[in-house]
Amino acid sequence: MKGDAALAAHAHTVKRYRGLMDWLTTVDHKKIGILYLIAGGLFFLIGGLEAILIRIQLIKPMNNFVSADTFNELITMHGTTMIFLAAMPLLFALMNAVIPLQIGARDVAFPFLNALGFWTFFFGGLLLNISWFTGHVPDAGWTSYVPLASPTYSEGAGVDYYVLGLQIAGIGTLLGGINFMATIINMRAPGMSFMRMPMFTWTIFITSALIVFAFPVLTVGLVALMFDRLFFANFFETAAGGSGVLWEHIFWVFGHPEVYILILPAFGIISEVVSTFSRKRLFGYSSMVFATVLIAFLGFMVWAHHMFTTGLGPVANALFSIATMLIAVPTGIKIFNWLFTLWGGSIRFTAASLFGIGFIPTFVMGGVTGVMLASAPADYQYHDTYFVVAHFHYVIVGGLMFGIFAGMFYWWPKMFGRLLNETLGKITFFTFFIGFHLTFFVQHFLGLLGMPRRVWTYLDGQGLNGMNLISTIGAILMGIATIVMLINIAVTSLKRPNAANDPWEDGRTLEWSIPSPPPEYNFKQIPLVRGYDAWWKEKMEGKKAMTPAEPPGPIHMPSPSILPFFMSVGLFISGFGFIYDKLFLAIGGLAVTLICMLLRSVFDDHGFHIEEHEQEKGVTA
Amino acid sequence: MSSHHSTSEGGAKRHRTEGPQKHIVAFILSLALTVIAFAAVAAGEINTTFTYIILVAMAIVQVFVQLAFWMHMKDKGHLFPIIGIVSGCFVVFLMVIMALYWVWW
Amino acid sequence: MSTHQHAEGQLPHEPEKATLEGRNKILGFWLFLGAETALFGTLFSAFLALRHNIGDGPSPQHLFELPMVFAATMILLTSSLMSVFAVQAMHRHKVKEMVGWLIATIVLGLAFLGLEIYEFNTYVSEGHKMTTSAFSSSFYTLVGFHGAHVAFGVLWIGLLILQIFKKGLTVVTAPKIYVSAIYWHFIDVVWVFIFTVVYLMGKVG
Repeated sequence: MKGDAALAAHAHTVKRYRGLMDWLTTVDHKKIGILYLIAGGLFFLIGGLEAILIRIQLIKPMNNFVSADTFNELITMHGTTMIFLAAMPLLFALMNAVIPLQIGARDVAFPFLNALGFWTFFFGGLLLNISWFTGHVPDAGWTSYVPLASPTYSEGAGVDYYVLGLQIAGIGTLLGGINFMATIINMRAPGMSFMRMPMFTWTIFITSALIVFAFPVLTVGLVALMFDRLFFANFFETAAGGSGVLWEHIFWVFGHPEVYILILPAFGIISEVVSTFSRKRLFGYSSMVFATVLIAFLGFMVWAHHMFTTGLGPVANALFSIATMLIAVPTGIKIFNWLFTLWGGSIRFTAASLFGIGFIPTFVMGGVTGVMLASAPADYQYHDTYFVVAHFHYVIVGGLMFGIFAGMFYWWPKMFGRLLNETLGKITFFTFFIGFHLTFFVQHFLGLLGMPRRVWTYLDGQGLNGMNLISTIGAILMGIATIVMLINIAVTSLKRPNAANDPWEDGRTLEWSIPSPPPEYNFKQIPLVRGYDAWWKEKMEGKKAMTPAEPPGPIHMPSPSILPFFMSVGLFISGFGFIYDKLFLAIGGLAVTLICMLLRSVFDDHGFHIEEHEQEKGVTA
Repeated sequence: MSSHHSTSEGGAKRHRTEGPQKHIVAFILSLALTVIAFAAVAAGEINTTFTYIILVAMAIVQVFVQLAFWMHMKDKGHLFPIIGIVSGCFVVFLMVIMALYWVWW
Repeated sequence: MSTHQHAEGQLPHEPEKATLEGRNKILGFWLFLGAETALFGTLFSAFLALRHNIGDGPSPQHLFELPMVFAATMILLTSSLMSVFAVQAMHRHKVKEMVGWLIATIVLGLAFLGLEIYEFNTYVSEGHKMTTSAFSSSFYTLVGFHGAHVAFGVLWIGLLILQIFKKGLTVVTAPKIYVSAIYWHFIDVVWVFIFTVVYLMGKVG
């Protein structure tokens, strides 16, 4: 933002907050990343608790640990919370913490929108989870199929929490997608062409595109369901000519790209971690980029593989079947590229690289059951059984979560200036890895034996008892691993922040060329990029720092603002109004949001400067 | 600093401010395409399928005209806007197929 | 990077592109329009799927009056042309002229909205309500969403006109004008599909 310094040369008081206000008003991507990490982590714990409760209920046949209704609430909230409020925010945490640093930028394209994205996610998630306290919990599954979710069969406010909570949280995600696309297109450091970007940046770029085009589809679906429930519309009411299968189509046109939104960033993390800890350049970079684009493109063309048994007919089933199997090809390319990167490399086993390496066989297992499910006739047997549950947990937990763990251990020192404890990290890895496979491997067989999903209990004498017990034990192990991780975080936060710029010593990308944590402005001078793995390139030529691409000078920063917080509070209040049919709350909340938008437009943000002498002191974020 | 300089990246040449002519042409084209579409329906005598084809064709051409001229998509520096709109259209295309062939009640 | 800024009060030729923030805003807005394309596409496909299920309500042939739809189309098309002229005036740094064209844009936008409200009122009295059938629900949601976008655009451009009076045309306000014009053209593009798919195809059957 240096070039716009002239614009902001007007004298004005510099607004700098401390403490809580600092966090409520920040527009700094590094702080927002930490906010996403904390909020996403909290929701992960809630979702994990819901999972443990589910598994306790299923530990033995005819159990009555929870009622059937509560079980339905648990599975709905577990899925919704984990996907929308835990996994995506944790990915956003890493995106925010890392992307501007990796491309040599000082922040994202729209810092204000970045903050807004966080707060809308947070308040959407809060709205959704407050349902536990009001007794109106969503219970129609994370996919909320009609007619179950229609006013006829879900009379209470539960599904309304789902609709409004997700709608509000979804706004944040869409804004984030636009933000990161614009950032990566317009704000790369000089010399960083697209084909010199780190692999994590590429995957985030493609993921952001997926977000931009998939989330609006969900928006419309939720609006239609909301109109059916609140205004007696007839999108899905068959008696009035509506269509139940229309909901499934709309949901899955969003829902399938959504799972690629989840996994592509994990692919990016694995590429970074595998190449850094093999001290070796990523094998087949161009094919990795191409494969990522192809996966994203194909990801939009396979949605009806979630609908094979609805009666679409043989032509549709065949088309979607083939398209789904095709996605295995670019995915396989990636797997081989990671293996070829490891091969001949100087491999270092740290908690980060263990999760990265553990990802590879685990994700492959999830992927191959995906190909099995892709066969429409076979799917008639697998559909709605635990086979499907096993598949998606293998790819989401064994894929995405392993990736997130790897990313957290890898980038923790950059975010917090301290390395997480390696011993505790390895305990976390082994406990989680073993627990994970115990829980979900047996579920393949439970499914093949016919155990249906989303049912709160099962009969004795069906051969299901032993495996369900094992599955629950695995879940408890994963819980223990998570607790060890929390202890790790607590213990680490007591250490002094004295991590080096490049604490792994083998850093290849630009974020390792600046202090840990970086100063508020990231780069004193924007670096000049001369190739892929820009930092590694300079290191191998004996340089101690990046060559700057601009002269030193005062750095212009965007101002903090409380408006994103209030805009989200407005939406939260409005959500309540719509859920409980209180028009004045619904309108009033929206009015708060619109007024904040007005204020933002009318009062220009001139930002402030960090002068050169302040830069010498190293202003930390 | 003369106002002759164009400030889009790389260009520092003399510019000519764009006249309204091209846009008025686009307006007239849009008008004509709209009139043809309405006339095709008002006439009432054209076979249904053929009418549909006329309507869709007129709409698509008009959209191209408006995107190219009024939204500057034919101008330099619009690669990502084009990718953005084309990708959006790709999603629309998939959903239209879905709506026409795979929804029943 | 441009060194012009407004050091001597001289605006660059295309002031909306003169700063990184301006270029970011324009690009970000185009990406937002890509998302809006997917959004309206979904609304359209829901409408396409449900358009024949009129239940007990009146049919589209019965309901839609082509002259009124044609008038609305002309109004919106003309308003779109007005906003083109506004941006051209902005590039020539003729602020008063630009504001004139912007006022014309929103006056026509308001006329469009007035017509649409009248139209919806007529339909409701003829028994075509949100709750009548799947066709009516998807009709009101699709056309209503478009109308809401027009209304938001009118408010937004109106606010920008006030800002121009207060702050003048600068490298900060110019991207806002440019982006609002792109938005306005986009909702005209959506209207082309609405009058084609909803009204004209509805009349044909």
